[in-house]
Amino acid sequence: MDLHEKRIPIIKIRDFLIVSIQVDMHDKLAIQLQSQILEEIGRTGAKGVLIDISVLEMVDSFIGRMLSGMASMASIMDAAVVIVGMQPAVAITLVELGLEMPGVDTALNMEKGMEMLEKRLKDLEHNFF
Amino acid sequence: MSEPRNVKNLKDRINRIEDILASVAAGDMDARIETEIEDDLSGIEAAIDLLIDDLTDELRQREKMQKELETKLKEIQEQQRTIVQQQEDLLELSSPVSKVWDNILILPVIGTLDSQRTQIMMENLLQKIVDTGCTISILDITGVPTVDTQVANHLLKTVTSARLLGAECIISGISPAIAQTIVHLGIDLSTIRTKATLQDAMIYAMKQNKRSDEMKVLSRNALSDEKED
Amino acid sequence: MLELAPDRNFELLGEYAIETEYDIVMARQTVRQFAKKAGMGIVDQTRITTAVSELFRNMYNYAGGGKVLIERGDVESHDALIITCIDHGPGIENLELAMSDGYTSGMGMGYGLPGTKRLVDRFEIQSKINEGTTVRIMKWK
Repeated sequence: MDLHEKRIPIIKIRDFLIVSIQVDMHDKLAIQLQSQILEEIGRTGAKGVLIDISVLEMVDSFIGRMLSGMASMASIMDAAVVIVGMQPAVAITLVELGLEMPGVDTALNMEKGMEMLEKRLKDLEHNFF
Repeated sequence: MSEPRNVKNLKDRINRIEDILASVAAGDMDARIETEIEDDLSGIEAAIDLLIDDLTDELRQREKMQKELETKLKEIQEQQRTIVQQQEDLLELSSPVSKVWDNILILPVIGTLDSQRTQIMMENLLQKIVDTGCTISILDITGVPTVDTQVANHLLKTVTSARLLGAECIISGISPAIAQTIVHLGIDLSTIRTKATLQDAMIYAMKQNKRSDEMKVLSRNALSDEKED
Repeated sequence: MLELAPDRNFELLGEYAIETEYDIVMARQTVRQFAKKAGMGIVDQTRITTAVSELFRNMYNYAGGGKVLIERGDVESHDALIITCIDHGPGIENLELAMSDGYTSGMGMGYGLPGTKRLVDRFEIQSKINEGTTVRIMKWK
């Protein structure tokens, strides 16, 4: 099985990118996804990214760091990242592991995540004019 | 009398006694000497047979008792399991999470918190947050007399985990005693929103709700503005 | 191989080699299956799976791979899942330091051992410079 063939699709809707992680990622795939998303932000000028991890049964320190790292990197590129749908067991384990991911925005579901991003966009416009 | 009674095949018979005793020792409880000859030796042979009979009875009795004991042990273990199960059920029942308002959950905690109960409580609350989609939950510990380090850490963990799910968890009803303990233990609660009473927490939660409602209206207007353009 | 207290009544469920990143994914999924079979709750399943993922990655990153044993047995009257990770890498120089919270071995990565320890019920580690490291963790219901 060639691992490099697996790609996680990134969908663009209006000003936002939507990524749904459906597989148990090995480290290279996680790194690849990170650069893929950043490239998409650069290419499309997206202002926000929703990353749905509701089917992920496990987030270890590597994937956790990849997610929070991506949030910082995207924010430098003026895009907000919202992690959506983390399972309770995953959240408890991450906190026990010592990865509390401060500074990363989270939402219970896609709808709420979308609301957060829209509000941010609205605030930006207000500040601009 | 001086003439010794006929003891036939003395050597063979002693050998047989030895053989039988050896088989009994090896566990064959059906072995008997069962001699048909009547002479001086036959009395001893019969006595040995009797002894083997007694021994067999004794052993059977013991086996029976052992079996009974094992059955009893199994019953007790079964009961133990039931008790543990009931304790777990009780723990879950003792931390009911209810939705009291649009988008607001409340978990009132009453009684002493131990590590296990706090753990189950935390899991229940987080699952309920996901199931209902409520973004604000209030953990009211008015009814909790004291907390130790472990329990305080579990409470902290609950709040942090809730944030990772995308929800806010407020702790209300922290008594003076608990406030003292927490500070003395050196636990940092500064990142956590705490309210003195359940009422304060509720007011805060309603305000948050109003804010997010306005947010929704804003984004809805934004959408319709775009369409008009 | 570094010896940990020898164990008697454990039943070997499987033995796996960690040689590629893909092995890490496969092995941690296998551990989750065994945890589920042992009747662990969803949070404990996630804890043990995450813990082994950290250990497997350490073996892969620092020792170029290693071997994993998955066992089940009775530990202090708990029905425990026991996972042993054995590598022949460079070893850990200062175990005490590596086990202390906040320690990282450059690049901000660290071994993540204190975090991993918090996720399990028992954590044992042996390490010798230039010989390797053996970590054994246990988790029960």
